[in-house]
Amino acid sequence: MTSTNDEASEDAGISEQHYEPWLFQRMLDELSVSELGIGFVYSILDLLAERYALNDAVVNLAHESFGAQMFRLGGKAVSADLAARLGTAPGVYCDPDVVPAVERDAVRTACQLALSLHLARFSAAHDPLTNIANRRTFDHALEAAAARSARYGWAFTLLIADLNGFKAVNDTLGHAVGDDLLRQFGLAMRRSVRSGDVAARIGGDEFAVILSNADGHEAVGFTDRLRCHLGPASDTISFTVGTSTSPRDSTDPSELFRIADARLYEKKGLNHR
Amino acid sequence: MMSPTEEDFELELRSLPGVLNVEIRHRENGDVDAVTLIVHGQDPGAIRVMAKQIVSLYFAEATVVVEDASSALLPREAQAVRVALVGATFNPENGSCEVELNYMGRIGLGHAGSGQLFGGAEATLAALRDLGFNVPFYLLSVVNVATARGWPVIVTLRPFSEGADMFGIAQSDGDVMSSSMATLNSLNRFLSMSKNQE
Repeated sequence: MTSTNDEASEDAGISEQHYEPWLFQRMLDELSVSELGIGFVYSILDLLAERYALNDAVVNLAHESFGAQMFRLGGKAVSADLAARLGTAPGVYCDPDVVPAVERDAVRTACQLALSLHLARFSAAHDPLTNIANRRTFDHALEAAAARSARYGWAFTLLIADLNGFKAVNDTLGHAVGDDLLRQFGLAMRRSVRSGDVAARIGGDEFAVILSNADGHEAVGFTDRLRCHLGPASDTISFTVGTSTSPRDSTDPSELFRIADARLYEKKGLNHR
Repeated sequence: MMSPTEEDFELELRSLPGVLNVEIRHRENGDVDAVTLIVHGQDPGAIRVMAKQIVSLYFAEATVVVEDASSALLPREAQAVRVALVGATFNPENGSCEVELNYMGRIGLGHAGSGQLFGGAEATLAALRDLGFNVPFYLLSVVNVATARGWPVIVTLRPFSEGADMFGIAQSDGDVMSSSMATLNSLNRFLSMSKNQE
């Protein structure tokens, strides 16, 4: 593995004046916008390796949220020794060292963009604290599930969970402890859902799950799994749930939400907000 | 081509603090068999616990290996060539600062307004970027403090992402020179690590 240098363009017999942006052309030809993610970074490295008959290549990126990031050709591991040799500053490292500097810059820029877009896409759909779906994603999923239920009669259950006494935790133990509880609750939710279900954080201490192909009984199984996965955190926090089922209760997403919410607050012994 | 799920999986692992690299190995049937993380500057044990939680959400059977790059990186940091301050000047006519740095024979120039204290620090960051360093910090504060032996300048830089603030202190001839030296002082460790790519 060798490092970047300014003479590489001469080594490859390509002057920057006559450089043709083959890479971007290939990207446009072969890759669609929907694939602009981490997979895209590996695809670019594949293209680079194919073009220059490389045995190995690593692109280092410095992401503003992640810090230093290394991606290696073929998704292979960058060992601790190799990481030490390459360092953590942005660059493209190739073996053999035949890739022009301008090409390396293009690769790094494209990879940086791909990683940023992936993160932006992920962030737009997920809650940053718990990494489960956010309210917007949840609303879309609920609408889609309700539409399918109305059209085909497929049953699903909407479950809303509210943490009990969460404000007191924040007030007495601090927001860091509160955030940690939310993370643990989000983690437990992710462990408890089945494939095809959607778990989301829809408010400060409010969570929701769309249990697909499920009548009300599935919600009992879900809450049991959730309690089990909460583990030691269940000593600190408890939760209350409210459910509604489509098409039995309604096929309108707003109405389903209202019913589940009302049942939740009924259980809590509170008046509806 | 990676599946969207696997992409998100890798993204989540990469978002753990200090993770430099992720390798996902598959079995012949395509299932994820093992995940190897290379971490730097974080407790590998703590990262392993967090990584195992994430891995268990996606691929319950996969094993997690965490390799620490910190020990391999540190000896090189000690050998790092430093960025040298060639000059730092303040132009009272237009209120701008100019900082000139030398790094392995290359000269980097940076300019900034904002007075001698902030200007000196900002011009130094600009000169580092001119040298090609990616400096993922922004200037949080520059203050000079009265002491029995003069007015040293303290610079605080904050990372764009998560991480601890960087502090530097220096006292030289004039505020702009002190501010520039304090900025370099705060970035010593970071610049040593960045140097390793050369």
